[in-house]
Amino acid sequence: MFFGLGGLIYVSVLLLNAVAILSEDRFLARIGWGGTASQDPGFGGQQDTTSVKARVINLISAVRTVTRIPLIAANTLIIAYLLVLG
Amino acid sequence: MQRPPYSNIPPAHSPPLHHPVPQHVSTVPQLRSPPPPQGTPQSQGYGGYGGQQPQQHGGGYMNPAFGGFMNDSTAQMGFQVGKSAVMAGQEYMEQNFNRYINVSALKHYFNVSNSYVVHKLFLVLFPWRHRPWSRKQAFNPNGAQDSPSVFLPPRDDINSPDMYIPVMAFVTYILLSTLLAGLRGAFHPELLGLTATTAFGVVIFEILGLKLGCYILSISNESQLLDLVAYSGYKFVGIIVTLVVAEIVNGGKGTGGWVGWGVFLYCYFADAFFLLRSLRYVLLPESRPDQSSAPTQTVARAQRSRRTWFLAGYSYVVQLALMWILSRQEGATKVAQKAAG
Repeated sequence: MFFGLGGLIYVSVLLLNAVAILSEDRFLARIGWGGTASQDPGFGGQQDTTSVKARVINLISAVRTVTRIPLIAANTLIIAYLLVLG
Repeated sequence: MQRPPYSNIPPAHSPPLHHPVPQHVSTVPQLRSPPPPQGTPQSQGYGGYGGQQPQQHGGGYMNPAFGGFMNDSTAQMGFQVGKSAVMAGQEYMEQNFNRYINVSALKHYFNVSNSYVVHKLFLVLFPWRHRPWSRKQAFNPNGAQDSPSVFLPPRDDINSPDMYIPVMAFVTYILLSTLLAGLRGAFHPELLGLTATTAFGVVIFEILGLKLGCYILSISNESQLLDLVAYSGYKFVGIIVTLVVAEIVNGGKGTGGWVGWGVFLYCYFADAFFLLRSLRYVLLPESRPDQSSAPTQTVARAQRSRRTWFLAGYSYVVQLALMWILSRQEGATKVAQKAAG
């Protein structure tokens, strides 16, 4: 179970990749997790932000937006590292 | 003569021989040149063992160079400029450091006393009889601008989480685990770093999971992050006890067997109960009469039960997994197999 720092970094980058590639309109909308797209424009009331599902959707979209660019850099680094050092 | 022209007057009991007498025999310090300033580290380096006598002795030998240097006014001015530059640099570093790490908040967590440490250790290992679990608050008499009430430091409140015990237990766990590995003959120097990284990773993973759960269940966390780190560090105490007892009883065959598992399960239950009681005030906000009670009443019953499930799940399931990870050790037989294969 002693992963070491390298193993932890690999695992975390892989998990972040998995969250980041969930496409908003092709996949999440199909299973009903559309998030901000499925809300009625003429709502007039408070949006449902306190249920578990809404917060998870919000979290996924936030993670996607924030980690899109750094993940590109991190993936490139790890690919180069694995290519060079095997 | 080897003595410089302005050395000390030889003491009254001068020896009959002409070789120079060590200056530390005489009892009266006689100042010849102005002594170097006491605060700078260079003069302390000269002295070595304090007192003015050896400084004078050291200064006496190097007086032609050193005394002349310090007597010069421009050199003294340069020294002053250097001192003020060093102090300015220190202030700048302190300011930048304070921006990243909240030093005053950390000081609150290390404000412990001996009796607090002993009582808290006993409480972590035997929490079932403890009656009031709420933290004491001291109401700020200056007004309600920034915070109406401030939690008491650990010195005055047994229920307040501190960082002293978790930090000490963390380091002790790393050293103890490596020591036990050395007793089994399985030591290699990377084991220290490996254990430290694993334990650190476990703590970080636990805090991340807790924060994720708080966000998903929309629990507004009023207590600081360091509180949660402190609470998650208390389980190292139980793990240390498990490791020591298992080592004494099993004699180097790891933490298996009846006694090992028994002590582990007891420490696990004690830690789970301790966390359950302590985090109840953090994760399950109760309705306070002085704040606006309308938002708290709209918290649905389903949400409250979900939060209770989350707290119970965190206390029991997560702690079981994490304590099991942290108390794993390789048995002696496995090491022998690895060495042979």
